[in-house]
Amino acid sequence: MKILSINSRPMSEKNFLMGNEVLGRAARAAQADAMYGYPITPASEIMHFWAGEAGSEAGHDQGLVFQQAEDEIGAGFMLIGGVLAGRRAFTATAGPGHVLMQDAFAMAEAMRLPVVAYIMQRGGPSTSTVIYSQQEVTLACFGGNGNGFRIVYAPSTLQELFDYGLKVFNTAWKYRFPTFLLGDGYLAKMLGEVELYDPAERGLEIVPTEPYLLEKKRGIDLKNVIPSPELEVRYSDGVEYACLRNCLNMEEETLTVNQEIKAAWDKMAKEVVEHEYVGQSAAKTVVVAQGIVAAAARQAVQEASGSVGLFRPITLNPFPVEALRRSVAGAERIIIAESAYNQLGRMVKDALYGQVQVPITEYYRPSMSILPEEIAELIKDNVAV
Amino acid sequence: MPEEMSKLEIRSALPKCARLDSKPHLFCPGCGHPEVLKALGFAVDELGLQRRIAFGVDIGCSLLAWDFFDFDTVETHHGRTVPVMVGLRLGNPEAIAVAYVGDGGAYAIGAGHLLNAAIRNDNILTIVVNNGLYAMTGGQEAPTTHPGWKVKTAPYGADQYYIKAPEIIRNVNPAAFVARGITSRQPELRQLMKDALQHINGNHGFAFLEVLSQCPLNWKTMDSAEATFRVLEQEHAKLFPTGRF
Amino acid sequence: MADTYNIIISGEGGQGVLSIAEIIAQAAWLQGKQAVCVPYFSTEKRGGISMAFAQISDRPIAFPKFRQADLWVALSERAVTRLESYLKAGTTVIVNSHLVKDLSKLESWQPRIIDATKIAKEQLHKPRTFNMVILGAMLNFVPGISKEGFAAALDKQFADKYARDPELKKLNQQAFEIGYELIKK
Repeated sequence: MKILSINSRPMSEKNFLMGNEVLGRAARAAQADAMYGYPITPASEIMHFWAGEAGSEAGHDQGLVFQQAEDEIGAGFMLIGGVLAGRRAFTATAGPGHVLMQDAFAMAEAMRLPVVAYIMQRGGPSTSTVIYSQQEVTLACFGGNGNGFRIVYAPSTLQELFDYGLKVFNTAWKYRFPTFLLGDGYLAKMLGEVELYDPAERGLEIVPTEPYLLEKKRGIDLKNVIPSPELEVRYSDGVEYACLRNCLNMEEETLTVNQEIKAAWDKMAKEVVEHEYVGQSAAKTVVVAQGIVAAAARQAVQEASGSVGLFRPITLNPFPVEALRRSVAGAERIIIAESAYNQLGRMVKDALYGQVQVPITEYYRPSMSILPEEIAELIKDNVAV
Repeated sequence: MPEEMSKLEIRSALPKCARLDSKPHLFCPGCGHPEVLKALGFAVDELGLQRRIAFGVDIGCSLLAWDFFDFDTVETHHGRTVPVMVGLRLGNPEAIAVAYVGDGGAYAIGAGHLLNAAIRNDNILTIVVNNGLYAMTGGQEAPTTHPGWKVKTAPYGADQYYIKAPEIIRNVNPAAFVARGITSRQPELRQLMKDALQHINGNHGFAFLEVLSQCPLNWKTMDSAEATFRVLEQEHAKLFPTGRF
Repeated sequence: MADTYNIIISGEGGQGVLSIAEIIAQAAWLQGKQAVCVPYFSTEKRGGISMAFAQISDRPIAFPKFRQADLWVALSERAVTRLESYLKAGTTVIVNSHLVKDLSKLESWQPRIIDATKIAKEQLHKPRTFNMVILGAMLNFVPGISKEGFAAALDKQFADKYARDPELKKLNQQAFEIGYELIKK
């Protein structure tokens, strides 16, 4: 397999690469400089790639950090430490590892720390298979003991692994929320064509990072990015010290934390929310799918005759509620297709409650691939002409 | 009592890097934590490290140290202070990374992280305050509870198993700084703190300092300072010998 | 090409199933086709059945898996028992006869038999050329890749390996030719 020169940032060119390597390159292109991880199929190659980068001469010169932790809990909390130090840091995990990461993700969610994770969904629950599913949607969006304030992108193609693998870092550091790329085992392991590019070539600016602790010249006021009950800033001898916490004493403090997070979230959502719509506008049959299943649905919808469209949330969280409602304005039937039971379905129904009175076909195939032909059959079965 | 002492008098009893307006502190009367923290603070003063310290505290009584000092501080999840400081130090090789944790966070839930950080010789200082039980949550059994002690989750007497961590750390890492001190001997404790900080400041790798401490509340010796110190210096220090390893 | 050309390679872990799929997919891509391949495996990285799906097409490929194969290559006995659901009436079947003894179930597909293991060991004296022998056989059926194009693709894919071991290029070429010609008969 051809590997690009390790020393250079990827120049605009087409390559034939595996998904996990694409993600590793996306992180490099985004100028990520630290990865803390733990091996787990099907995400491990992302870590192998980064270990190679960090251990190379160029990696040493650039001060890239890599640490394989003792488990995913360790990796998640090392990631937090890296972020506190101002690193553009990330991790990669899947399945049971993703479950363990929720301890760290909950802390990051509470304190609005911009941790980034590439999550490659596999079978579940429990160890299950190492292959594929879309069963970690709820976990990524709503895991931990909070209210689900993590930004989650769901790419559907190898190219989008690169595009969004880049984007997650900017989103995380601009808006200060844990930000995840939710892929899956097929995207992770498939080889295909991808165009790599230097974001600067496309006018994409890298959002700067800044340490939370031991920062000498603060550019950002921590009060704007950390919920107030969790932050104390004081001065001694003209030096600023910041104390961060997540343990609170009074109900009112917890309410304040949640309210402040929500206010920032709602503001961010307007700018960050993303979706894709394919096919006839005001279609009578609307398919809803995300991730790689949306790729299958895209083909089925493009080849279908009749009034058919595909609504694809690109951000699962914040969910593109308004866009979905507009997309189904003329629908006589909605088909939800996912490789899980009701995880995307739940979000769709939540968004549409009280809005539509049309039948919903729920095509749930936990851990199984959903082929374009299957979606075509669903559309044909009783397409509203 | 603070009202009766002048600010100057209070100031000289405390390290310079201690934050005055968070005093009186929130630890129980007679708790050992303030003694440990003072020793740390005086050592920091002497070495001039105040501005370079990233101070991590666990969930447990150690979290009450959250605003004890004028240090950059982060409170982590239970048992996760060590990996946060490891990650931070890797991200900022100039940081003096200190994890301040209790025996539960260090030897139970956090044992995996602690052992691996020691094996990797990660350049952080871990201070473990060992009072033989889980204090903040009401006195449950810990990996350091003495055989036979009656605690909330071993009301008929704790089992015979307990952990001697400095001994283990020394076994897995011959180069680390490893010691066990005690709150009742301040000058020695302050020296241990200095040496431990110098170890990581000189980039020599892992530094580990367990400090035997008293918990009059859960030891049920609130009524008698003599009883508290008897348990600390005779029982506790007998099971866990102090010294450098 | 109307649709995608679907290929399944299956065998024991360690037989090079994924390598074969990757090589054929990338070779097609280097010749200007769209191509995608994906492995399919169980939790045991060692000792389990290995399968790989490859698709070659003129247009972008939406999903890495498919229902029915146009070409199915079975490298071991266990591979045969598991995969009948992926076969359709016109599927071309290539079988490594060294390990696949029981062909009764496959009769209706008139499988092309090739003892790639034996060829690699006894004719070429390098067991690792096994993959190339199989690829040669496959190339009789995979549309859009010429022999020359395939050789040129190999030159690119194995540039580093050939630089370190020039003999390998000749060996691969030999193995490939043998496999190709054997099926033609």
